[in-house]
Amino acid sequence: MVLAELGQRVTQALASLSAAPVIDEAVLDACLKEIAAALLQADVNVRLVASLRNNVKKRVNVSELGRGLSKQRIIEKAVFDELCSMIEGGQAAQQEFKKGRTNIVMFVGLQGAGKTTTCTKYAHYYKRKGFKPAMVCADTFRAGAFDQLKQNATKAQIPFYGSYTETDPAVIAQQGVERFKQEKRDLIIVDTSGRHKQEESLFEEMRQVAAAVQPDHVIFVMDGSIGQAAFDQAKAFHDSVDVGQVIITKLDGHAKGGGALSAVAATQSPITFIGTGEHMHEFEHFEAKKFVGRLLGKGDWGGFIDK
Amino acid sequence: LVRSMGVSVAGTSSLTREDIASARTALKTKLMERNVAEEIAEKVCESVAAGLEGRRLGSFTRVSTVVREAVEAALTRILTPKRSIDVLRGVREAKARRRGDRARGRPYTIVFVGVNGVGKSTNLAKVAYWLRQNGASVMIAACDTFRSGAVEQLKTHCARLGVPLFERGYEKDPAKVAAEAAKAAARAGTDVLLVDTAGRMQDNEPLMRALSNLISLNAPDLVLFVGEALVGNDAVDQLTKFNRRLADLSPGPNPHLIDGIVLTKFDTIDDKVGAALSMVYTSGAPIVFVGCGQTYVDLKRLHVKSIVAALLK
Ligand SMILES: Nc1nc2c(ncn2[C@@H]2O[C@H](COP(=O)(O)OP(=O)(O)OP(=O)(O)O)[C@@H](O)[C@H]2O)c(=O)[nH]1
Ligand SMILES: Nc1nc2c(ncn2[C@@H]2O[C@H](COP(=O)(O)OP(=O)(O)OP(=O)(O)O)[C@@H](O)[C@H]2O)c(=O)[nH]1
Ligand SMILES: [Mg+2]
Ligand SMILES: [Mg+2]
Repeated sequence: MVLAELGQRVTQALASLSAAPVIDEAVLDACLKEIAAALLQADVNVRLVASLRNNVKKRVNVSELGRGLSKQRIIEKAVFDELCSMIEGGQAAQQEFKKGRTNIVMFVGLQGAGKTTTCTKYAHYYKRKGFKPAMVCADTFRAGAFDQLKQNATKAQIPFYGSYTETDPAVIAQQGVERFKQEKRDLIIVDTSGRHKQEESLFEEMRQVAAAVQPDHVIFVMDGSIGQAAFDQAKAFHDSVDVGQVIITKLDGHAKGGGALSAVAATQSPITFIGTGEHMHEFEHFEAKKFVGRLLGKGDWGGFIDK
Repeated sequence: LVRSMGVSVAGTSSLTREDIASARTALKTKLMERNVAEEIAEKVCESVAAGLEGRRLGSFTRVSTVVREAVEAALTRILTPKRSIDVLRGVREAKARRRGDRARGRPYTIVFVGVNGVGKSTNLAKVAYWLRQNGASVMIAACDTFRSGAVEQLKTHCARLGVPLFERGYEKDPAKVAAEAAKAAARAGTDVLLVDTAGRMQDNEPLMRALSNLISLNAPDLVLFVGEALVGNDAVDQLTKFNRRLADLSPGPNPHLIDGIVLTKFDTIDDKVGAALSMVYTSGAPIVFVGCGQTYVDLKRLHVKSIVAALLK
């Protein structure tokens, strides 16, 4: 996976610690500088990188530390913890859906992020787990939006709801959810239009859809190649509709996906899935802990913690 | 940025190494905050620093002023196109050629390319609207035969714009659809053919080969790369690799590379305008249009001065 390239550089930087005869302020600085450069090239928010650097330095008071190996381990652990908290988000949302009761999720995000495509992937994933998903197209704005969802849903054999004539997305959303509740579908997925924080009326519309469907989870979909605008946009979405999880798309490209970390920080929500292609099955479950372990080449994260 | 250093050394006769080093660090951070790719920010800083080294200052010139001017000049130089593209003139010339030689009735053809979801189809529709406003007749070719809803998306735009759509549904070879569209447009005496293509990742070799094939087979007048202002460091890789793959994978001897850029979603980034710099620096291609909204009128020209101002504010 692409984010792994970032891990390699972080690991290399940490390895430089053991090469140094003594770990002093200068060695630590050089190591942190290399890590910061790797993060910046991966599109992690400039301020987050600065705060990672400061936090590690604060925790690792070089002059007071013991010698050699233990010093190195303390630094490694500090970097590791900081990266983990960046990637994990605040509370690991326990979003276990219960079969047989209605679970409603709503997809939101910037224009073209991959929401509609990801809705079907998500439905398909849970269908294979034995759920009975259904999709509602509450995007009345984008040209061809309903056809797109309809064609995807048909391929995946998942029931869908939408309208060519209704112009109020909240109305369609409510009708669709009602219909599928009656039909006893246990996972109802609501797709919405792309929007951005600069246009308040679009955010107001999103709140209306949320009010109409009362989602159990709001999922923020973000393009893996996004740069420094990620944090502000993600935060604005979160402030408006209480985002609970993040899905990063297009990680089959070359982007290292660091903008995603900004979204995690801004929404205090974990990354739950990643998109790795345009096809329905190109979708992976994401576990932050395993990922950071792999990221730093440690394989097993357990061995690293609190020793 | 500039205020953070310099005032204390005002009055000395030439810039010291330390002056330059601190200005350089501050500049790089600022550019990256504004979403310039790291690699490009570094290169810009390098060239600004090199230009400043050993510069003598007039007795009342502040270091901050000198640095600011050097940075502004460098950014303006990068963003100002070396070659410019006048689409309307191209369209007029193609029209004149057609009058001279009825047999070669080709329309002026523009192909829109780029990665997934950046706004190719929407901005193609905006360009259609703009061309119509300027008196040109337009046809649109639906050559994204892969993504669900892509054809219906264009159908909707065409109906609203009153522009004919040439489509052959899904799963057809896009290169052939484009070729047939060109013939249909020629028959109808259409001035401009706008070719929509499917989004693709720059590393996806089969898809890049198919694109290269479409361009080679159809010999368009203009290849426009559509990139979103939201993109971070990947901007550099996207442009580099689209150009390289169009060159390397082309079946013909004279590959047609990217002529110009459409910078989209400019309304979503506030002052984080750095992608404009990354894209132009990387490709040397001019930004022909700036997409700044989701309606047909949201298509603008690049205003270099305000980009530079936003980068340094
Ligand atoms: N390569 C790749 N492409 C993807 C992935 N996910 C989505 N896409 C593509 O990204 C483009 C945009 O996807 P959509 O699902 O239409 O995005 P959206 O967020 O619904 O867009 P709007 O509704 O217009 O805001 C399409 O071409 C998708 O095929 C992915 O993981 N990898
Ligand atoms: N805010 C804003 N949104 C835009 C702009 N241009 C396009 N969009 C939106 O971005 C989304 C994707 O646009 P499309 O035109 O479908 O993108 P595409 O590149 O053709 O996508 P694929 O064909 O799937 O690769 C849509 O929701 C558009 O409305 C823009 O300038 N500003
Ligand atoms: Mg959509
Ligand atoms: Mg398109």
